[in-house]
Amino acid sequence: MNEQLAFWVLAAIAVLGALVAVRKRNLIHGVFALLVFFAGLSGLFLLLLAEFIAAVQVLVYIGAVGVLLLFAIMLTERVAGDGGQRMTSRGWFWGLVMAVAVFVVLLLPAIQQLPSPEAAQPIKPSVEELGKKLMDPYVVTLEVMALLLTAALIGAVTAAQGVRMPKEEDSPE
Amino acid sequence: MTLHHYLILAAVLFCVGLMGAFTRRNAIVVLFSVEIMLNAANLNFIAFWRYSDNPELLHGPMFTLFAIAVAAAEVAVGLALVIAVYRHFKTVDLESIDTLREE
Amino acid sequence: MSLELITDILIATVPLMLVFATLFAFTTWLERKALARIQNRIGPNKVGIPCTRISLFGLGQPAADGIKMLFKEDIVPRGADRLFHLLAPILALIPAMLVLCFLPLEFPWTKSLLPVQAFLLDGAVIFFFAITGLNTLAVFMAGWASRNKYSLLGGMRAVAQMVSYEIPLVLSAVIVVMMVGSLNAAVIADAQTGFNWFVFSPWGFAAFVIFFIAALAETNRSPFDLPEAESEIIAGYFTEYSGFKFALFFLGEYIAMFAISGLAVTLFLGGGDGPGLAAAPWLSVVWFLAKIFALIAVMIWLRGTLPRLRVDQLMGFAWKFMLPLSILNILVAGFAWHAQQQGSTTITVITWVASIAILYGTASGLNQLNRGSARPRKYKYAE
Repeated sequence: MNEQLAFWVLAAIAVLGALVAVRKRNLIHGVFALLVFFAGLSGLFLLLLAEFIAAVQVLVYIGAVGVLLLFAIMLTERVAGDGGQRMTSRGWFWGLVMAVAVFVVLLLPAIQQLPSPEAAQPIKPSVEELGKKLMDPYVVTLEVMALLLTAALIGAVTAAQGVRMPKEEDSPE
Repeated sequence: MTLHHYLILAAVLFCVGLMGAFTRRNAIVVLFSVEIMLNAANLNFIAFWRYSDNPELLHGPMFTLFAIAVAAAEVAVGLALVIAVYRHFKTVDLESIDTLREE
Repeated sequence: MSLELITDILIATVPLMLVFATLFAFTTWLERKALARIQNRIGPNKVGIPCTRISLFGLGQPAADGIKMLFKEDIVPRGADRLFHLLAPILALIPAMLVLCFLPLEFPWTKSLLPVQAFLLDGAVIFFFAITGLNTLAVFMAGWASRNKYSLLGGMRAVAQMVSYEIPLVLSAVIVVMMVGSLNAAVIADAQTGFNWFVFSPWGFAAFVIFFIAALAETNRSPFDLPEAESEIIAGYFTEYSGFKFALFFLGEYIAMFAISGLAVTLFLGGGDGPGLAAAPWLSVVWFLAKIFALIAVMIWLRGTLPRLRVDQLMGFAWKFMLPLSILNILVAGFAWHAQQQGSTTITVITWVASIAILYGTASGLNQLNRGSARPRKYKYAE
């Protein structure tokens, strides 16, 4: 009974957070709604007994990606939301229809009443096992991820800094 | 809670993100929506892992860990690109950045 | 929600809040007195027991301060974001209080109900760092919601500082986790019994120093208190806060100090280990709190002694000195762990000497590298 209550509460938080994030005109409010969504999702991960992933979700998404989005919003616009312009794009109606169509297609297995799998087996969540798996089968993926993150770091810094134009004249002595 | 509850929730979240990506003009809100979609997929992975036959293989959390890392890198690079675009066009409105379109 | 569960939760968390709230009041008094004595003045000595004239060295000052802050007018600037202006101090307080539950404090009356700490988590250390990261958000929210240029600037500087110093903080905790092999705070504290603390090894000592300095920067304490310094930016991100909201920020900052000191004690200083434990097991709480208190005293001492760092010096210190040093420390600790698996004494001695040499050499080398070129000044006009 407790698990059901937790699931419905966390699901409501996640869905509401996502909806507010994509519909708000004021972007800062949108970002904080997105952070509520991340927190709801972290709670769902905890409910599914993946506690390390829940901690990593909070650490990476709320702590880092959220702050990054906030800084980017500060740097790129008059933040109270462009009052005059429209919020939605030109093809919004067909976009909405496509989203609903994708939703229906994703639900088709459930609608066709596939037999539900048996109840979940008891899992003993263990971070040590995760560490061992990182070293044994998944070590190449780990190294590739390190390379990817380094490349992303260098690329992001370079792209955001822009190209330095060479100065025309020397600065006065 | 059965597996289907989590799958339907992940589908709803994915479609909310998809709607956001299709509907808004602001580039940063499109980035929000991409993050929502990635998180919905992560939820799917963990749900399938939890209800699988041999959860000691830890395939769910491993995939999700790498997906979170890749998503964080993608947000960083995407926002750097948005900042670079803003510096040139002085706006992040996707409807007005159309210089590649034929007249 | 059974009644037993609720009483378990209450018995586990309420003593923590009471103990740390009392410690908070005592620490504010101690800080003002200690800073005053360092600066050659006396500090608060008038307010003793209320409604009498007995002044016990000013020990009633925290109560007087609390009452004053409760009754101050709550001013919200016009045009400020009211919801976020209200939420920011709450969001600053909640993570600080939440992480107190992860510390392995073994209150004796909870032995029959809950094992050791309030939340017995397998991944306690990483949850600690994840929740401490929420402080950055609260600071940004406070700076943004005040609709004040200086608040925003202070908030962004504070966020940049906290994000930069999170990396050496986590990397120096990784060393302890690597040596013990578990993320569980209770297991880490138990692995150091018998004066086997991690500070007493060269890589552990270096990690402790890095952790402590990064913890000072995370909680915006001097000498890293540029975002909230009075002579720099009025009060930075909490300029526009008055009354109870300011009190909440203040409380949140001190409780965050306690929480990070608690983590430092758990990871490096043995966490409840001390003489006399075999006879009286309840002494572990006393030792734990005494060690936290010692670290707080060092923080107050540093605040009174060191000058403030400029923002570029602050960021340069994090990225160019502490980050390479902590990465090298992980490498050295890894080698040392493998050497300790061999078990012979000569290898241990060689490892210790080598690691001390490498760490000290790297620290001096980085220091030299970051010194910058200080040529003697050339005066153009004053010959």
